Amino acid sequence: MSDVKTTVREVLETHGRMPVSPSTLGDDDDLYDNGLSSHASVNVMLALEDAFDVEFPDALLRKGTFQTISAISEALASMGVVDPPS
Amino acid sequence: MKVLVGTDVQPIDEVAASIRQYGPRYTRRLYTAHELECCGEDPVTAASGLAARFAAKEAVLKILDGPEPAPWTSIEVHRGENDRPELVLSTIAADQARRQGIRHLSVSLSHGGGVATATVVAQVSRRRMVAR
Repeated sequence: MSDVKTTVREVLETHGRMPVSPSTLGDDDDLYDNGLSSHASVNVMLALEDAFDVEFPDALLRKGTFQTISAISEALASMGVVDPPS
Repeated sequence: MKVLVGTDVQPIDEVAASIRQYGPRYTRRLYTAHELECCGEDPVTAASGLAARFAAKEAVLKILDGPEPAPWTSIEVHRGENDRPELVLSTIAADQARRQGIRHLSVSLSHGGGVATATVVAQVSRRRMVAR
C-alpha cells in the first residue's frame, strides 16, 4: 500500500499539468512556484477526493491548502487520511 | 487615492474539461449560484463565461493581501446594471478588502483565442481600515 504523500505525488503527476515531475520535488517545495496553476489545483483536489474517498470541507477550498505536498498531506490528515502504522 | 491592479488569464479548454470530468462537484466548489445561473447549463457555452469568472477571482486574489488566500466562492462576479459585471466580496475576501481600505473594485472580462482574461482595478483609501 502506498503512503499518502506518494499518492499525492501520483495525483499531482496526473492532474497537476506541471512542467516538472512532482516526484522530483521535496515535501515543502512550493507547488505554485513549480508550475501548478490555481485552476489545476482544483482538479488535483477533486482527484484526491476520488483517490481517498473524502470531501474537502469549504474551509480548505483555498490556494494555501495546495501550496506544498506537506500542506496537502496535512489537509488530508485533518480529514482522517493518514499513513497506516508501520 | 491609491490604485491596485490585478489581472489573470485562464485557458477555456481547461475549464471545459473540468466541467466534463467532474460536473457539479467542480462548479459548486469555485462558483456561486448566481455565477452558474449567469453562465447557463450548457457546459460548452458555460466554459468561456466560467473561465472569465475564474480569472476575475484570481485577479482579485492578486490584489488582496492576507495571511491566507480567500476562498474562490467569496469572490463573486455579479451581473449588474446593463449586464455590466461587478464584483461582490463576502466573508474572508470582504474582510481582507476592508482591512486594506479598498473602497471600490472594477472588473473587465474578455475571452477569445481559447483563453479568458480578467482585469480588476481597486481604489484604495490612503487610510487603511483598522481591523476590529
